[in-house]
Amino acid sequence: MSKYNICSVLVHAKQDMIDSVKAILESQQGVEVHAKSDEGRLIVTVEDEYRKQIGERIMGFYEIDGVLSASMIYQFSDDEFNEQETIELQSTEERMSA
Amino acid sequence: MKMTRREFVKNNAIAATATAAGVTIPGIKDVLAASEDKIRWDKAPCRFCGTGCSVLVGTQSGKIVATQGDPDAPVNRGLNCIKGYFLSKIMYGKDRLTKPLLRKTDGKYDKEGEFEEVSWDEAFDIMALKWKEALKNDMAANKGKPADKITSTVGMFGSGQWTIFEGYAASKLMKAGFRSNHIDPNARHCMASAVGAFIRGFGSDEPMGCYDDLEHADAFVLWGSNMAEMHPILWTRITDTRLTKKDSEVHVLSTFKHRSFDLADNGMVFTPQTDMVILNYIANYIIQNKAYNKSFMDKHVNFKKTTTDIGYGLRPEHELEKKRTGTGGKLSGISFDEYAKSVEEYTLEYASKLSGVPEKNLLRLAKLYAHPTKKITSLWTMGFNQHTRGVWTNGLMYNVHLLTGKISQPGNGPFSLTGQPSACGTAREVGTFSHRLPADYVVKKKAHRDFAEKIWELPEGTIPGKPGYHAVLQNRMLKDSKLNVYWVMCNNNVQAAANLNEETMPGYRNPDNFIVTSDPYPTVTAIASDLILPTAMWTEKEGAYGNAERRTQFWRQQVAAPGEAKSDLWQLMEFAKRFKMEEVWPADLLAKSPQYKGKTLFNVLFENGQVDKFKKQTVMDDRGNKYQNDEMEDFGFYAQKGLFEEYRRFQLEGVKKGHEQAPFDVYHKTRGLRWPVVDGKETLWRYAEGYDPYVKKGEGFKFYGKPDGRANIITAPYEVAAESPDEEYDLWLSTGRVLEHWHSGSMTRRVPELYRAFPDAVVFMHPEDAKARGLRRGLTAKIISRRGEVECQVETRGRNRPPKGLVFVPWFDAGRLINKVTLDATDPLSKETDYKKCAIKIEKA
Repeated sequence: MSKYNICSVLVHAKQDMIDSVKAILESQQGVEVHAKSDEGRLIVTVEDEYRKQIGERIMGFYEIDGVLSASMIYQFSDDEFNEQETIELQSTEERMSA
Repeated sequence: MKMTRREFVKNNAIAATATAAGVTIPGIKDVLAASEDKIRWDKAPCRFCGTGCSVLVGTQSGKIVATQGDPDAPVNRGLNCIKGYFLSKIMYGKDRLTKPLLRKTDGKYDKEGEFEEVSWDEAFDIMALKWKEALKNDMAANKGKPADKITSTVGMFGSGQWTIFEGYAASKLMKAGFRSNHIDPNARHCMASAVGAFIRGFGSDEPMGCYDDLEHADAFVLWGSNMAEMHPILWTRITDTRLTKKDSEVHVLSTFKHRSFDLADNGMVFTPQTDMVILNYIANYIIQNKAYNKSFMDKHVNFKKTTTDIGYGLRPEHELEKKRTGTGGKLSGISFDEYAKSVEEYTLEYASKLSGVPEKNLLRLAKLYAHPTKKITSLWTMGFNQHTRGVWTNGLMYNVHLLTGKISQPGNGPFSLTGQPSACGTAREVGTFSHRLPADYVVKKKAHRDFAEKIWELPEGTIPGKPGYHAVLQNRMLKDSKLNVYWVMCNNNVQAAANLNEETMPGYRNPDNFIVTSDPYPTVTAIASDLILPTAMWTEKEGAYGNAERRTQFWRQQVAAPGEAKSDLWQLMEFAKRFKMEEVWPADLLAKSPQYKGKTLFNVLFENGQVDKFKKQTVMDDRGNKYQNDEMEDFGFYAQKGLFEEYRRFQLEGVKKGHEQAPFDVYHKTRGLRWPVVDGKETLWRYAEGYDPYVKKGEGFKFYGKPDGRANIITAPYEVAAESPDEEYDLWLSTGRVLEHWHSGSMTRRVPELYRAFPDAVVFMHPEDAKARGLRRGLTAKIISRRGEVECQVETRGRNRPPKGLVFVPWFDAGRLINKVTLDATDPLSKETDYKKCAIKIEKA
């Protein structure tokens, strides 16, 4: 069991600075950039064991040169998280047809 | 398919974001755990700003455990700002109030006593006693007076955060029950100037356009609005348009540089109050270059001028009020040529000189508005509204759009944004202002009062005809002992109102007065009161809000309130049970409706066959989930539904068209609808053929709020601010918000993540201004005005970069009450305070 805390963020960046924004984001601990689009959108996740710092960390994105906005999408936190537990999954289509 | 739990959670986080962004990521699929999800999800509009984002609320074992941006919501499309993201935590602050608290000494109420826990019965006993004393005095003072002459010592300060049902019930209780128009919402502080200009310009409140404009427009102009922080989700939509639409552009005007400037193609910092100069310059440019739309103006516009030199809404004995030569907002007709002449002096050189904005930037802005085809959406919030010439300035913006006919069309229009979640839905539409009745009707017109009395089944002459005390006047009247019993609900006005030391606090602590505050938390206002009532909040009750684009959104009760906390609706209705009609109405009025003799106020207002029409039932969603409704449980009828359906009669049976909402049940099934809703269809652009059902084929446009269907272009000159810097008080002070906190911070500062992200208010100032005063970043400054002082840390970097001569301080911090410093000058027309301009000096603490 451990603490686990993740949130996902949609970052809009100036198009001509998107690569530098991506590089700066990726240099931060627990931050991953999963995709970027030519229009300046970045799909970002932040994993952090200290839940209370997550607000500061995301608001910190605004301080990165070239970032225009950061919108939060999904958040999960659990203080007693069994991360190795395997779970059975269904896709949305499978569930709807079930 | 199998995954570890960690992979699964991460996959979902990425998938949700990719969907919201419209980006496909290989290998990421929308998957769900096969095991039954124990969380119940339902929709609710966000509790904070006027954007009206929808969130999915996850409830488990009677507690809200998660919120998520609602992917099916047209407003926010799955996105959340940081406040919305932590929304689920606002109800779980450690100091949540769960019992009524009364100031007592030796077991008895004492204004100078300490707060002690009491029962609801004891709370309402003392409250009713105080109210009855005041009502008795009022009845004696009003003996023999007609409805338009009667006065009252009973007041209420309400909210643009009340649900529609609560605002409606409060307005009815005050205006019909206690026969007092001294009810005003905190929306007075944020939207009153916008309302005034809508009524003067169009004869009907609220914007013509909607958020769809954010994708349709080619250009956006921000006037006194920092959307990047205050309306972040709408800003994300504008950002997306700017980044994806060829040749689109963004212009930003403000008195200091802020985050919205990051996206600006043309950023302009102007001297406070000179927005009026810039707007008149643009009108002049359009006229000089014949860029106006003559056929539109000929068919749809009248030209007017307004009374000038009208003062600053201060106390009558104030020097500035003695000096003024004009009063009020009387309009008189002028010709186009006279209008053109009135703006002639606003040349590029003059506008640049007064505003401090370089000529090339102003010219680029003027050319944009004058462009024959570019679609322009102008957006503003408090910069225009919190302005001693707020109604005029809103109007000057309409002038520009009416000159060019760039209005009421997709992507083209002036858009007044709102600060509170239901400033539109509750304060403005229900009409909880001191001069209004539901659906744009007003108390001063007898025909309107007659209409309200008919719907409410009241004898003629029940509703007083004189507009009551507005927000700022309420504080002054409390201080002057003209208002003696006062109920504050769903707001934190001691922190919010300007000039705390001189005007607010003396009234609350005046021994002649009994002050009650209903709130979930011990706010500055609650602590300044005599009785505190613990309140259920947000999804602890069923509710409805109306956002800035006329969208009405409903939610169901998700959880029970803690302890003995009760919703504002319950408090209002339950309190009405404490009064016999003989105690609130004089005998001659009661004689006109003898059937009400011996009844309670609750019987007459809420058990009237309309509000109690819908019997107790189970609230269920379309997936079969059941929801509690505590008010229905207590009163035995579906109060929210009854109140809403009675309210709709104002929209459907009166002479004013164009405010129609759908039946109650419809809203629980949709992500909201934008009124007017006619034949089940919402309206995206008002006043325009093809979009608005009240505009006939061939009419093109019809501003049907006005009898002749024409909108008003109203000329108004630049007039100076109430208080400008001088030798001693040498800096401008502007106040406002930050992204992390909402309003007075009573909710957001109780969320640890948000508190940490921006713990205390700071003073944003230019580094050279700091240096000249022996200060630098991180040191403590003393901010001093003629009215008070406050200390906070200096910030010379970061999100806000004021020019030399101006500082910005956010007002969310209860430990650094900036409203000790501000001036209670208001727009004399809208009575809205100018929180953006007063003179201060700064010293090293």
